[in-house]
Amino acid sequence: MNKVYILGGAQTDFERNWTKEGKTMLALLKEATEDGIVGAGLSFDDIQELNKDNRVACFVGNFIAEKYTEQGHLGAFLTEVDPAFYGVPSARYEAACASGSVAIDAAQTKIRAGDYDVAVVIGWELMKTVDSKAGGDFLGRAAFYDKESKGIDLPFPKLFGRLADETIKKYRLDETRYMDSLAQIAVNNYANAKRNPLAQTRKWFMSKEQAKLRGTETNPYVGGRLAVSDCSQVTDGAAVVVLASEKFVMERQIKDKPILKGYGHRIAPMLFDKKMQESQNSAYILPWTRQTVLDAYHRSGLSVEDIDVFETHDCFTSSEYAAISAFGLTEPGREYEATESGLIAFDGKKPINPSGGLIGCGHPVGASGVRMFLDLYKQVMGMAGKYQVSNVQNALMLNIGGSATTNYVYIVSQGS
Amino acid sequence: MLTINTVTVIGTTGTMGANIAGIFASFGDAKVYCAGRDIEKVKKTIPHIVGSVRADAIADKLVPADFSSLESCVANSDLIFESSAEDMELKSAIAHRVGKALKKDAISCTGTSGLSITALAKCYPEDTRSRFFGVHMFNPPYNMPLCELIPTVYSDRVLLNELKQYLSETLFRSVVEVKDSPAFLGNRIGFQFMNETLQYAEKYKDSGGIDYIDAILGPFTGRVMAPLATSDFVGLDVHKAIVDNVYKNTSDFAHETFALPDFVQNLIDEEKLGRKSGVGLYKLIRYDNGLKRQTVYDIATGTYRDVIQYVFPFANEMKRFLSEGDYAKAFERLVNNQSQEAGICLSFLLKYIVYSLYTAQEVGDTIEAADDVMAAGFNWCPPLAMCQALSTVSNVSTLIRERLPEICTKVDVGHLLTGVRPSKYDYRMYFKSER
Repeated sequence: MNKVYILGGAQTDFERNWTKEGKTMLALLKEATEDGIVGAGLSFDDIQELNKDNRVACFVGNFIAEKYTEQGHLGAFLTEVDPAFYGVPSARYEAACASGSVAIDAAQTKIRAGDYDVAVVIGWELMKTVDSKAGGDFLGRAAFYDKESKGIDLPFPKLFGRLADETIKKYRLDETRYMDSLAQIAVNNYANAKRNPLAQTRKWFMSKEQAKLRGTETNPYVGGRLAVSDCSQVTDGAAVVVLASEKFVMERQIKDKPILKGYGHRIAPMLFDKKMQESQNSAYILPWTRQTVLDAYHRSGLSVEDIDVFETHDCFTSSEYAAISAFGLTEPGREYEATESGLIAFDGKKPINPSGGLIGCGHPVGASGVRMFLDLYKQVMGMAGKYQVSNVQNALMLNIGGSATTNYVYIVSQGS
Repeated sequence: MLTINTVTVIGTTGTMGANIAGIFASFGDAKVYCAGRDIEKVKKTIPHIVGSVRADAIADKLVPADFSSLESCVANSDLIFESSAEDMELKSAIAHRVGKALKKDAISCTGTSGLSITALAKCYPEDTRSRFFGVHMFNPPYNMPLCELIPTVYSDRVLLNELKQYLSETLFRSVVEVKDSPAFLGNRIGFQFMNETLQYAEKYKDSGGIDYIDAILGPFTGRVMAPLATSDFVGLDVHKAIVDNVYKNTSDFAHETFALPDFVQNLIDEEKLGRKSGVGLYKLIRYDNGLKRQTVYDIATGTYRDVIQYVFPFANEMKRFLSEGDYAKAFERLVNNQSQEAGICLSFLLKYIVYSLYTAQEVGDTIEAADDVMAAGFNWCPPLAMCQALSTVSNVSTLIRERLPEICTKVDVGHLLTGVRPSKYDYRMYFKSER
């Protein structure tokens, strides 16, 4: 199999509200795609040239534009972005909040198989087109809609609130200690986002005290024991990464680009109840998430000791909490040790989400997986600016869809 | 890094004072004495302060105080922030009291938007003047991170740099050091633009006046709100105070553009101050059944009438292109459309670039300072980014020579533009279409 190189990419500013700017999904795609291709050191002319020999393809990650913007057929839609995409094989990939990752997976597979030499991956979601109630209902389609979402206000905070309940129950945790750990996770992500000039919350205030003041006017409960400070927030955004074959990298004499070292992809039972039933016999609350991480370690020949930085899917603080042991940073049931010791803080030994994660950056669903992947690229390249972690050889991301139903892990490493 | 554990904010019943108290209590994690003339009024602003930074966690840090206990608050504080009304007599009286009560090593700041920082420094005892600075924030500071930092001849440079670091790294402000010059940098540039649009509204009163000019320079020209609507929002009295101050105390090439038009003075005399008084340049009429009607002051007739839905082909085309992310095509329409309206629009954008660069040299350290103040304080497309935007379709220097011949006789535009580098701000997000 061929190596997969990462040439670069770009993301939009996740603070932007494109509806308020009076701009459509086409504007979002034009800006992101152009920036991403330029960020990878290419141009639309390159795409056109490569396409003459059928060497380039596009992979679009998006969850549910049919609802938010009344538009489907999103692969073909790229022809509206620029005529350079006429004739370029392009399709849309969907796996709820892991849509970006499933698009990356399709892209890397085509590169590894030698079908194409350049793969442009575009993850995007325009979510501020509707109010939070309508948007919450749309997102309910990432769960079993009829059984878990229909007629329920904000179904996802409730599902991840249940994950919090189940975590406390499974490991017989001290409730205060667990909730303080979740508050620390929120604080870490907000603090990290302050260093990220493209993060949604970079101007927002958060403190440990505020994160713990759940149930107040400024931090109301939204799903069981989870409050606003425990949630990533809806936003608009797109992220682009460009993958390439070794042949292309050699041909263009491109040097020092990172490679995709390994991946994992597993599906857990759709229904949250079935997930919990199944996990009763496991040490892990989300055993398939753990398995996905193990698969990626196995494929890359690396272990948790080798990973210098993590980007995880903190759609809620309770999901980042579960990810800590899934990565192997602590024993399952003792994740609080990592938050209490500062292990996963920006200046800790194993930082999680130096970018700010979903809580800090904002969570434009279809873009998040690609955004994380781009952040791994930046970290390995030393291009993360103020949120750069020092000496990154290997970086790992976990992107999940639904209530940790689809699980994707990627490991990006220095190429040489 | 400075250690600021306790702060006194004087004038917390005012909007800026309250918001600034919130910034110190939240990002600064400081105990804040919220001082005002009337303690009952101060107490009522506490929920507003909490709301301004969306954090109940700061409520315990806010301590209401009235002026009778000012000295003891000040004596316990590491930093004093005076945010009282823009009145030299009042501010100097406060400065005298604060100066006497300051503890050793404490820092004193004024949030004045227009008065001379040097004159205020002189109200302090000589041995504390080195620790006094102007710290000018914009409204609302939670969303507008700009903070103009103004030293005086007396200022301790080491302390100035420590304060700068504290403001930027602890309070997350976009700090721009500027000279003690009328209106400082942001308002000098912003109000030059707004006041000249007011003059144009008068000049073009038979074409519609206020709403006509706002329709020409709406959000599609790189801002959130049209300029006259902004002036109305700020308040015509505040607008007047700023432009009068600049008019009286400066004399640059744009001097006459700071002269307040007569019709605005008349509105102020009739206490039609803008949105805060319900009537000003615009007047929103609310009916009992919940319906609203936006009306505008018609300068030609002196009455309020319905806002006209102007149809300018150049503006419509620009908005259409912007909505689909075709920025260059939008700017091409602006530059090549020969209508009166497109001409006015482009000339304002070009004057904005010239005046910003010119003033940044005079009041700021670098031309980038103009970018920082306009982006972080006004949320307008900053001048260097504006330059980049127009450069996608035309040579900006040539455009300025063609469209602003009179200004070119007064200003060496070629020299001004030589220092122009690409902006760190992305112009695309500032040019908005319609929802």
